[in-house]
Amino acid sequence: MGNEHLLGIENALFTAAMLLYFASMIGYIAYIAFKKEILAKIFYIVMLVCFVLHTAALVCRGIGAGRLPMTDRYEFAACFAWGLCLVSLVFIKKYRLDVLGAFSAPVIFLVIGYAAMQSKDVHELMPSLQSNWLGFHVSTAILSYGAFGVSFAVALVFLLRDRIAKGSFLDRHIPSQDKLDMIGYRSVSVGLLFLTFCIISGAIWAERAWGSYWSWDPKETWSLITWLIYAIYLHQRIRKGRKGKSAAVFALIGFVCVLFTYIGVNTLIPGIHSYA
Amino acid sequence: MKKKNKAIRFLGSMQFAMILLAVLIAACILGSVIEQGQTFALYSEVYGERAAAAIVALHLDDVFHSPWFILITAFLCANLLMCNLTRLPAPVRRWKSSADRHEETVRNPDAVAVIDEDPQKLFADLRFGGIKKGITEDGSEYLFGSRGRAGIWGAWVCHLGVLILIVGFALGQGQSEEYTVYGVKGQTKQVGDTDYLLTIDDFRIDLREDDTVEQYTADLTVRNAATGESSSGSASVNNPVSIFGMKFYQNSTGWAASVIVEKNGEELQREILCAGEFISVADKPDLVIYLNAFYPDYAMVEGEPVTLSSKLNNPAYLYRVYYQGNMIGMNALTGDDVITIDEYTVRFEDPQSYTLIQIKKDRFAGLALAGGIITLLGIVLALFVQPAAVAAIRQQDGNWKVYASGKKGGLLFVEDFEKAVSAYRVRGSAEEQEKENSEHGE
Repeated sequence: MGNEHLLGIENALFTAAMLLYFASMIGYIAYIAFKKEILAKIFYIVMLVCFVLHTAALVCRGIGAGRLPMTDRYEFAACFAWGLCLVSLVFIKKYRLDVLGAFSAPVIFLVIGYAAMQSKDVHELMPSLQSNWLGFHVSTAILSYGAFGVSFAVALVFLLRDRIAKGSFLDRHIPSQDKLDMIGYRSVSVGLLFLTFCIISGAIWAERAWGSYWSWDPKETWSLITWLIYAIYLHQRIRKGRKGKSAAVFALIGFVCVLFTYIGVNTLIPGIHSYA
Repeated sequence: MKKKNKAIRFLGSMQFAMILLAVLIAACILGSVIEQGQTFALYSEVYGERAAAAIVALHLDDVFHSPWFILITAFLCANLLMCNLTRLPAPVRRWKSSADRHEETVRNPDAVAVIDEDPQKLFADLRFGGIKKGITEDGSEYLFGSRGRAGIWGAWVCHLGVLILIVGFALGQGQSEEYTVYGVKGQTKQVGDTDYLLTIDDFRIDLREDDTVEQYTADLTVRNAATGESSSGSASVNNPVSIFGMKFYQNSTGWAASVIVEKNGEELQREILCAGEFISVADKPDLVIYLNAFYPDYAMVEGEPVTLSSKLNNPAYLYRVYYQGNMIGMNALTGDDVITIDEYTVRFEDPQSYTLIQIKKDRFAGLALAGGIITLLGIVLALFVQPAAVAAIRQQDGNWKVYASGKKGGLLFVEDFEKAVSAYRVRGSAEEQEKENSEHGE
């Protein structure tokens, strides 16, 4: 099978996945609007199908390009959406938090929409990207961004939880604020672990490629800012009386930082990571 | 004395840490938004003269090396050190007592249940191993299990890791040696002010079919001029080579050419000049020839000089000539063109790629790496190893009252416990247990 053919299949799978992400976003919103529990079950399965198609698209691109599909803006955005979807599916299932889909599906759709707007041309890797560290560094970034995306969605649910009428459909289907706080904490924990892996592996790789493991490049600096914000989040949670709302606000700020580190730094502040 | 103690306590406090982290975040934002290391003129153009003056005065043009940034980092180190010193007894105490702290678990549980079976099976379902058996002070039989004891050390280890990381980085910044050497194949240059001489034995650029670069490789020989000892190796991008305790990196590349200066038809001077370099004419130092840029496949597109490919199809040398500091000429030389200035003729030939080799010696990089790994370990312990304990006391009616405590796991641990215990609960006593749980919750 030729590479062009595989990239054609990738394109079709990616488009199908994107359309289904859109459908799952609408489906989850309908679940809340029409208060039909069955919709959450159906669109969880739709999201699962999206994930499978998306994974197949990435595999096709990887084989077609002859390398890991994680290097240019299109590929990283596609992987970011994939990571968000993976972590969302795990958290919805593990914590039986159907409502999370209504908040994470729009974020996934936005990110995959951003990916669709990027050039899909396959480029050969520049010498500095030809490293075994590439896969580890980028995949940990994807998983951390995905987990932080989920913590963002959970924080939104947490902050809206107060406004839900007692005894209503949502009141019965959304866990207590204490439980949401714990779920948010778990997702931040996963995100912070992978972000730390990402920063350390990036530093080791930078030392080999550029001769300096830390150069205060804007991408590095904003990764550090993100790390520090989530460090504050964790400290806020153990300070008496600061648990909950304050931590949720930091989870929101943290994800805004993640998005800025990913999109803002690439587009607004030039640096040695500008290809990412 | 009291004031001194208060100050020391504040230095290691979480409140101070939060302030420092907030200031550090603000500094990082400033350092990434304001372009670093630029001239006053550029800041004036972008931000206006007054703001530019403030940027320079406050060292915002070099945030990460500024005295105030170093001071914040020093305070953060002090905070981490004090925090770890003052909080060391707590995890030590908890670690020592965690082997059997059934009394504490009974006193302060997160969930309670009464079961009519041997609790060992329930403990196993909840992944508690190493069950201890004993008799309480009032003579009742008890069982105790704990897990995730290592999690007690998480925050402490994480803080220690960050401290080591910062110290390693700071020492590396202060003590590391860094040099750059650039040249073409066959050239030998001194490495900074050291005794080492670096010879570029070869420099290759491997191109793919589509003319994109696959790899840059430099074959190097390093000789110690003092001892005569020499060693060789190849450096390519992502694969530095270590020679005599220094690391040699293939950093970047560019174009160089031979510049020949003739006076009245006689060769006066011949040197290799990299793009961006200049030479002074040997017998007329006020006359300077500057090789501004080199275009291997030169063309003018919309009035701008560009190169159409990296192949030497139409080489062009963009030059400037200065006399006594004033520019007296500027143009692009192609083909057999020469520059003629009075009795001097200047021409460029033999264009070739030069390589820029970065040489680094950082004895503390390993310390920073160790700090990073310890931080990672601390995060795993703090966030994923949840210390939890269960204690079961045999009641007079033969049932067992089970107490569970999992502070960090919180509600989710309680949920797991409730789920596991539901299979063992004493029938008919659910209401009583619910009441008990709510009493403990209060």
